[in-house]
This record gives sequence, structure tokens and C-alpha cells, in this order.
Amino acid sequence: MSDKKYEGMPPYAPGTHVRESDIQNKKIAYAWWEPEVQYSWSLGHAMSKFLTGLKAGKIFGIHCKRCDRILVPPRMFCEHCFGPTEEWVELPDTGIIETFSISYLDPDARRIEDPILVGVVDLDGAPPHHGFMHYFGEMSKDEIKIGMKVKAVWKPENERTGSITDIKYFKPAGGAD
Amino acid sequence: MGFIEKQTDPTTPMHWKGNMQADYFYPAGIAGDKFFQHLKQNDTFLATKCSECNKVLFPPRLYCEDCFIEISNDNWIEVPASGTIRVFTVAKLNAHGEKMKEPKVIALIDVENTDGSTLGVIKTQNLEANLQGAKVKAIFKPKDKREGTMKDILHFELI
Amino acid sequence: MKEVAVIGAGMTLFRRHLKETGKELSYLATKMALEEAGIEKKDIDMVVMGTAPDAFDGTHMKGEYLLDGAAGVGLPYCRVFNGGGTGVFAPIAGWWHVASGVADVCLVVAEEKMGNCYPHPQTAFQHIWDPILDRPLTPNLVWLFAMEMNRYMTVHGIKEEDIAEVAVKNKRNAVGHPCAQLADPNITVEDVMNSEMMAWPVKRLDISPPSDGAAALIFCSKDVVHKYTDERIFVKGVGWNIDSTMWTNRDLYFPDYVANAAKMAYKKAGITNPPKELSFAEPYDPFDYKECHHMEGLLLCEKGEAPTLAREGVTQRDGDLPICPSGGLLGVGNPIAATMGQKMCEVYWQLAGKAGKRQVPNDPQMGLGQAWGDIMQMATVMILGRGS
Repeated sequence: MSDKKYEGMPPYAPGTHVRESDIQNKKIAYAWWEPEVQYSWSLGHAMSKFLTGLKAGKIFGIHCKRCDRILVPPRMFCEHCFGPTEEWVELPDTGIIETFSISYLDPDARRIEDPILVGVVDLDGAPPHHGFMHYFGEMSKDEIKIGMKVKAVWKPENERTGSITDIKYFKPAGGAD
Repeated sequence: MGFIEKQTDPTTPMHWKGNMQADYFYPAGIAGDKFFQHLKQNDTFLATKCSECNKVLFPPRLYCEDCFIEISNDNWIEVPASGTIRVFTVAKLNAHGEKMKEPKVIALIDVENTDGSTLGVIKTQNLEANLQGAKVKAIFKPKDKREGTMKDILHFELI
Repeated sequence: MKEVAVIGAGMTLFRRHLKETGKELSYLATKMALEEAGIEKKDIDMVVMGTAPDAFDGTHMKGEYLLDGAAGVGLPYCRVFNGGGTGVFAPIAGWWHVASGVADVCLVVAEEKMGNCYPHPQTAFQHIWDPILDRPLTPNLVWLFAMEMNRYMTVHGIKEEDIAEVAVKNKRNAVGHPCAQLADPNITVEDVMNSEMMAWPVKRLDISPPSDGAAALIFCSKDVVHKYTDERIFVKGVGWNIDSTMWTNRDLYFPDYVANAAKMAYKKAGITNPPKELSFAEPYDPFDYKECHHMEGLLLCEKGEAPTLAREGVTQRDGDLPICPSGGLLGVGNPIAATMGQKMCEVYWQLAGKAGKRQVPNDPQMGLGQAWGDIMQMATVMILGRGS
């Protein structure tokens, strides 16, 4: 019986700590690998139409009959009732800020002085808490708040490619919540 | 229930291209580090012997995965960097499926005095030869150029 | 269904980089668990490996790669994973093996080598985002947690200082843990508040570090537990639940999926008043606000109440409801799946009275461990208790 074998578990911590400098100075043997993996993801019907809409300067949602809710980003089936979605709906490019962050890290985790404002936009015309992630602009980190009304700022038509980045960011729509 | 929509416009976007960006550093481990530090300084291999099943494990490891017991420092042994070809192939395409300028002979080599084996490139002019059972030895980089990886072995040559 | 007992556990040191390979780490954790249980590989019927994305260790099919060190050679073996939920999901899968009667003794091993993804596992995390909707915006994963933390704080009007109390509690609790990566006996709320702002409101000391590490846990059927130990510590409840990947279509302030998983586990355990009937809990704490978020999801307090309980000391080891007595992820480290060590292994050691310096007083009878994963989606819950 092993009950009284140890006073406190774990009795020791097996493992050998290695510092960043040990790796840089090649104090331990290791192999190095830079994989090259390319992807071509299928968009599917819903995303395909959504991106085509963005290129035309429009935001499309799709209606689920059973739940009676508009899904944006759109999908071919509703994940709640598991029924097919049918009617396409053009939504206004306005909404409110659902949540946000003020980031002092850039996408590569490098420190930046001028923070990036990013968050989720709750789109008008869709049910509460339905929207997508995007940047916020033309507002300071002290002005941004949950519930603020915002409007999309689009790239000029000839620069749009059919991507979420066809919208540059969302700016204050005027009039606090 | 059939499909709700048909895709009839060939100009509608169908795919999104991208890649997976990541680099990897694989530490050789406790056993691996010992093996490669030895390889940097010597023209021989290290192997480990399990005190329970008596198998000589190559590549060497911290524990025998069959008996699941730890292998102590006393059970590390030095073996010659040579062996016998168990099976081989002549590769004409590289890892990306492109034709190589010169075909490569790749073999699974049973390492001498061990129960293990290693993959190796065989340097030979005769691509038609049947190398099964042939004895080979490792040819190493000069010691000052070794880094403690499998690339310290340049290739294997027939003895 | 058979009743399932726990008879041994083990874990390795947790650090940003460990010299051992993933197989060697699995071996070291398994060895400790086997020693505690007093058994050998030949006594194990089946093995479950829990390990999160292949993209960390950098070896495809890493479940199959690691099994040598997890005593899996020649045995029925499977790998499960659901991101951060794996630390409690792997034990749940181990429980399935024994409760169903197909195995008398099942070993569960959890391993992670986040340090292999160089220079930072952040690059692997980038692939969790949707390639079409999210990745073109080049997001940083910290943004996602910052957005959830902000929503949670704003809806309830919670102050950052109260949440910072959790980081202080856990990093101090971890001082009693030999494996701990970030134990700090002197850390204060001021230290946390003054730490580097990453993405408001998340600061550096609000976050647990990426780590290398492994843990192991051994389950056995009630029919044979007498062969191995006089302890009688059983699985009382299990629950698991997941929400949609469409995280921008939910209000993030409350994790419904955690409540669903908790209710499933409480029902099985016959628990109707969780904060009174549980002696302690180990919710998942990769961020300090997550401990609060999960406490509420686990129905251990009212919505929005958790930070107040932290401030008032209720969740200290000697408080009315000890939370993360192990030191959690914030104190011990976060090798994703291997956090099983501070969650289920810790719950077992606490109930067995073997937690040493971390022991929760007053003879704990029932403890809960919870893990959380993917894009704010997965909740896994397991409750252990003494006596059958």
C-alpha cells in the first residue's frame, strides 16, 4: 500500500530547466525545422456571398426561419436549431460596440506606443450580440466604450478585394449611446 | 432536402489562400543530448541497454518503452558507427515531389551491436546494385564542423 | 456503470523551456504516478493521452508520437484533445474507460511542449482564428481575452484591482508547489496593476505563462481498488459542454457552456448547493479574470460576485471556499493539457491529505476541477470525493 509513502505530493519536480540563453548558445542539442504549409480553404456558399458583398460595399446576413434570427457572419445552417438558413438580408453598416480592447501589442506581439483599438461590433438589424470582430478608428482610447454607436469606414471601391479588410475600421456614428 | 442554392457564377470566390507560419526548435532531450554531445566529439554511436529485457536500444533513450523502467547511466554503451542494410530504396523525387538531379539511395541500417536501426543516405555509384545485407559505415563531417545533429553524419559508405 | 477510484498521480517541473523531450516528460510524470499507486506498466489495462494542438510540440500526430513515454506500447490507447479543456477532458475519457467496464485500470497522461514553437507559441495560436473572418485582421490572441475581460467587467461594474487579487492569491499559493513556474510569496495587487499593459484591460501579471510539462493520473475500478490502496477517492461527477465557434455571436460576460457542464456534473454527484457541498475547487485560471468568470459559470457564487469573494479572502486556502489552492495556472504554469497536474491531480492529492504545504484544512471531502478551451467554447468538469 502506498498511502504513507510521501509526505507531500509531488515529492519532487522531475524536469530540467533550460534558459533562452542555453538555446541561443547551443548548450543543448536540438533540431531546427521551418515547415512550409500552404492552404487553400474552401469558402463555402455563405462566406463566398459575404465576401462578394463586402467587395460591393455591403454587409450581408442570412435569416434562420426556425430561430427567427439573422446570422452575421452568415452561414448555410444555423448551429442552434441545426436547420438550413435561407433568406439573404442586407444589413446597414452601422452597429454598437459589444466589447473592445486597447492593445499595446501588435500582431507579432511587439510593443507599440500608439495602441490598436479592436473589438466586436454588434450590427444593427441583427439580434443583440451578433456581429464580427473589427478595428475601431477615429476615436481615442479614452473615448472608446461599450455601447458606442459606430459606422463602417470602407476602402475605396477600386481597393476592395472581397475580404473583411474591405472595411478599414468602424468610426463613431455620432451621438453617444 | 437538397441544396438550398446552386453556385452558377464561375467568378464567385471559392477559396481563401493562406499559410501556417511557425518555426520549430526540438530539444534532443536528456538521452538525445547525451547521444549528440558524444557524436560531436567521436566517430562512434551511443546506445542504451535495458537491464530487464536486455535489448540494446538504438537510438538510446531514458527508459525502455516495453519494460517501462529507467535506464541508468551505467547502461550506456559505445558502439561502432556502422551496420548492415536491412532494406533500401532508390529515391528519384524529393520531399516536394520534384525530380532530383541525382537519385538518392536511402537505407534502413541495423546498427551494429544494437537491436535498433537508423535511416541513412548511402553514397554509391552503382544504383542498380542489390544492397540488402551490405555492410556500411558512417562518414562524418570534420569534428570542428559538427553541430550535434544527425547532419553531422554526411552519409554512409559501403565497407 | 462502475464506480471509478483514483489511485495515483504525478507531474513534472513546469518551465518555459524544459530540456526533456515530450516522451521523456510523459515518462517522468507517469513514473511518479505509478510509484504512488504502487503499480507497474503490466498492471495498466488502457491508456489515454491528452495533449493539445500538434502545432505546439511541432510533431504531427503527437498523440501517437508520445505514447512510448506514456506506457502505451502494446496497449489500447487513444488521444483526446479540446485545447485548454484537455486537462480535465483526458481524465473524463479515462473515467469512460473504467466506468464502462472495459478497463479495470486506466492511466491518463497529459503532456505539452509549448517551447518547441519558436520563438513563441503565439505563432501557433494564430491558427485558432478563422482564416477568412479573423486572420486578415492579424489579431493577437491576447486581444480575445481582453475583449472577454472587458465585457465581463463592464456588465458587472467590476474593478481591475479586485480581479488582480486572484493573481496575487494564486501566485502566493504556488509557493507550496515544487513544480511551480511563477510562485511569488511577496507579490501584491500593486505589482499586478503596475505590470506591463498588454491589451487593455489585460496586463502581464494577469496572464499565465506558456510552459513545458506533463502530468499523469491513474483510475481504477472500485472492484479492484482494494488491491492497490486503502484510500477511497472516487469520481463523483463528470460534465462537459461546448459552445459554438461563432464567438462574436454571444455575450461573453457569462460562460453558459461552463454552467451546462457544471450542472451535468452536479446532477451525477447529487450536489444541489455547490458552494456549501464542495470543500474547494480548482477552476481554470489562465487569466485572473477567468478564475472569477469560471467560478460564476460553475455556480459557486452569483454572477459578478466572484471578484468580491476574492477581495474578501473567501477564496484563500483557509477561507470558506478555497479556490485554486494549488496555485493554479497563474502560479504553477500553463502547459495547456498538462494543467491536469494542478487541476485533477491536485484535487486527488488534496482529498488524500497529501498536498503538503498546499493542504486545504478541515479535512476536505469533495473537490471540483474544471478546464476550459478553444475559442471561449469548451468546459470540462470533474468532481472527486471521499468514500463511496
